[in-house]
Amino acid sequence: MVSASKLRRAQTDLEKIRDYAVKMGELTGRVVMNMPEDAHPLLATREEIKKVLIVSIGSDRGLCGGFNTNVALAAENFARMNHPNYERIAIYIFGRKIRDYLGKRKMDIVKDWTDVKKVDQDLVDTVAAEIIELYLSGEFDKVYLSYTSFVSAVKQRVIFDEFIPIKTPEESEYIDYISEPARTEIVGTLIPRYISTKIYYSLIESQTSEHAARMSAMENATSNCGEMVRYLTLVYNKRRQEGITNEMMDIVGGAEALRGK
Amino acid sequence: MLSLEIITPEKTVVKDEVDVVEATGAEGEFGIMPGHTQFLTTLKIGEIRYRKGNETVYLSSSGGFAEVVDDKVTLLVDTAERSKEIDVDRAKRAMERAEAELKSLSYDQNEYRMMEMALLRAVARIGVASKKI
Repeated sequence: MVSASKLRRAQTDLEKIRDYAVKMGELTGRVVMNMPEDAHPLLATREEIKKVLIVSIGSDRGLCGGFNTNVALAAENFARMNHPNYERIAIYIFGRKIRDYLGKRKMDIVKDWTDVKKVDQDLVDTVAAEIIELYLSGEFDKVYLSYTSFVSAVKQRVIFDEFIPIKTPEESEYIDYISEPARTEIVGTLIPRYISTKIYYSLIESQTSEHAARMSAMENATSNCGEMVRYLTLVYNKRRQEGITNEMMDIVGGAEALRGK
Repeated sequence: MLSLEIITPEKTVVKDEVDVVEATGAEGEFGIMPGHTQFLTTLKIGEIRYRKGNETVYLSSSGGFAEVVDDKVTLLVDTAERSKEIDVDRAKRAMERAEAELKSLSYDQNEYRMMEMALLRAVARIGVASKKI
């Protein structure tokens, strides 16, 4: 019940930013299309990819089914599969649960954010700046973003996507804009904005998914509980009946024995 | 007709069919009418106007991006407020505060740039609010 009302609130938050995030993604896709890779450092694919960063977004609190485990597993499996190909696979974490899970498995954690009360622009700007810095300084050659996408209240999907360098989505069409200032300059402001919007949106989407996951987990728990109560009541009644029958047989047997004398 | 969308991270502020859109881009003011070529620009802090029939609506915005494709105008901005939604007193206070701060800061500090932006936003708000309709 609590999660249901939280979910409703989170969903309105998500809807507010969805338009902006989607349009921003489309616009960025169209603008970076056919752009020479050297136009912006965040566009260029590095020749040698040795160090990979995974940004994993989860939550602080549990009791929400496989929500955190699924995101953590995505990162863990990736690290295990690609372990021989890269020099370093590190993880940038949101949420205590994921930190605990991956920490126990001795994964390389660059930073973890826990106890994030509210996702706001300041937080997102800090995170975006940090991730861009990690990439530009050469600390990492590629960044993946992993979070839970909110499809509906009963369906959430774990996303594990390449994030930086930015790729042109395949369905984008090339548009020959007249642009002021030059396209290469616009890209300079557009891309950081796109990255922070994407992070913002992923965080909000992840939060919404968390509430939805918790809601169904709790609902399942309640219905499982009901089933168990029904089963246990049955067992209890059987046992009780058995006890009574045994006692009665004792008494009847005793009486019979006495009468037989 | 142009189909105009003004979108902020908070909400979709405007989604309407309009006749003319005018805003301040990186290289000065521009106006968009139906049949405009494909156009892409960054928006500066300032005023956005659009006209629908005889009615002109003024908004104050704190910058973003504008795209025009096939008579679809999309403005992705950080904030956008209609003139009648603007809290003029608050904007005035923000302006005074920014002015005072600017005097005490030296030109090369980071805060100087931030305060300058705050001042520009406040001025834009006050300017737009004076065009209440």
